Amino acid sequence: MTKTDFSDEILMRYADGELDADTSAALERAMELDDELVSRVALFIETRAAAQTTMKPLLDEPLPAELSAAVEKMVKEKTQGASEASVLPFPPRAANNRRANRWLAPIAASLVVVVAGIGGYWLRGGGEAVLDGGLHVAGISGSALDDALATVATGEERQLPDSNQRFRAIATFRDNAQALCREFEVDSADRSTVVSVACRTGAEWRVTFAVVAPGVSGGYAPASSTETLDAYLMAIDAGPPLEAAEEAQVLSHLRESTPR
Amino acid sequence: MSGAVKDVGERLIAFLPNLRRFAISLCGSRDIADDLVQAACERALASAERFEPGTRFDAWMFRILRNLWIDQVRKRKTMGVQDDISERQDIAGAHGEREAEARLTLNTVAEAIADLPNEQREVLLLVCVEELSYREAADVLGVPIGTVMSRLARARKNLAEAAGITATTTRSQVMKDVKE
Repeated sequence: MTKTDFSDEILMRYADGELDADTSAALERAMELDDELVSRVALFIETRAAAQTTMKPLLDEPLPAELSAAVEKMVKEKTQGASEASVLPFPPRAANNRRANRWLAPIAASLVVVVAGIGGYWLRGGGEAVLDGGLHVAGISGSALDDALATVATGEERQLPDSNQRFRAIATFRDNAQALCREFEVDSADRSTVVSVACRTGAEWRVTFAVVAPGVSGGYAPASSTETLDAYLMAIDAGPPLEAAEEAQVLSHLRESTPR
Repeated sequence: MSGAVKDVGERLIAFLPNLRRFAISLCGSRDIADDLVQAACERALASAERFEPGTRFDAWMFRILRNLWIDQVRKRKTMGVQDDISERQDIAGAHGEREAEARLTLNTVAEAIADLPNEQREVLLLVCVEELSYREAADVLGVPIGTVMSRLARARKNLAEAAGITATTTRSQVMKDVKE
């Protein structure tokens, strides 16, 4: 048997313990008579060992404290969330107590589709989505809204940077998939108000609901527009609103865990 | 369901050093790697039910992390980052206490690994460093097992050449002695 009978791939598989027993035995017999074959096999053994030795220190390096803290927190929250879900398979539906009208559910189901379509465009799209009445919804930049969603506590307001819009946080809750959601309103210069819900999917906020309410001067959307919202919240099985302390904790964790 | 999340969570914490090492060698920067590891953990916890008990957890995590990295590269088109020398040395860096001679040798191998084309480096890391089988590496990378083998063979040839790894004389000498 000559050395050309063994391809590099076979030699590598031998070095990595991935070669079948018969071929291995044949190779070992050939190596007894062929020094060059031995050195070719040795190359694969040595490179494996060298790579391992070189990368070992990275494993021994202490983990950055922020990283392990963030992951431990994440795991803790996730396991708690999961066990709560299994204890309470039917969490009380009520992001707020304004709604209970079950007959609204079918309406809500059809609404979700429509508004989710608009909402997806709103947050990510850079352009302007003009809803009726000339309200420039997309005038809110994604990052300004992201920032407001992660920082403004329920009941508080903030002027969105570089705009004449005011952001107002109404409630924070979890939907039926335990995703973190925030109900909020944005007042525009033309006095109309957008009533919205944004939920956290992965690392970003996604507006899942948005409805334009006719403006009233003091801010706060009129009750008629919130009926639609109520129906929507019922349809997504929104959990009870988080208490202020819990909300503060969740939002602060969110800010810490969001890269940059 | 809570069982799956708990299981994945526990393994995740124990596995962080390996995951981080793989991330650093993928993206060549500790800062980016740490963000990447965190994102991968988030993703793993969110899809904990999809982890099949009995399969290799490390392979599953490597796949999640690598897919996230590819997404990021696609999105930000920051492939160039990897060719930045200061970033690249991150792989070898931060263990200056080692004696000079040893560091010299090790850094050469580290640099050679960092210099490998991405597709060769990742397969080298999965098989030779993390000790996945060819089959497992193929699953992580989403390529046929034959591709794993050809990339891996090329990676090791390149590594040996760049780092001057020659086992030739000593090895054959040993074998010769045994034989005679």
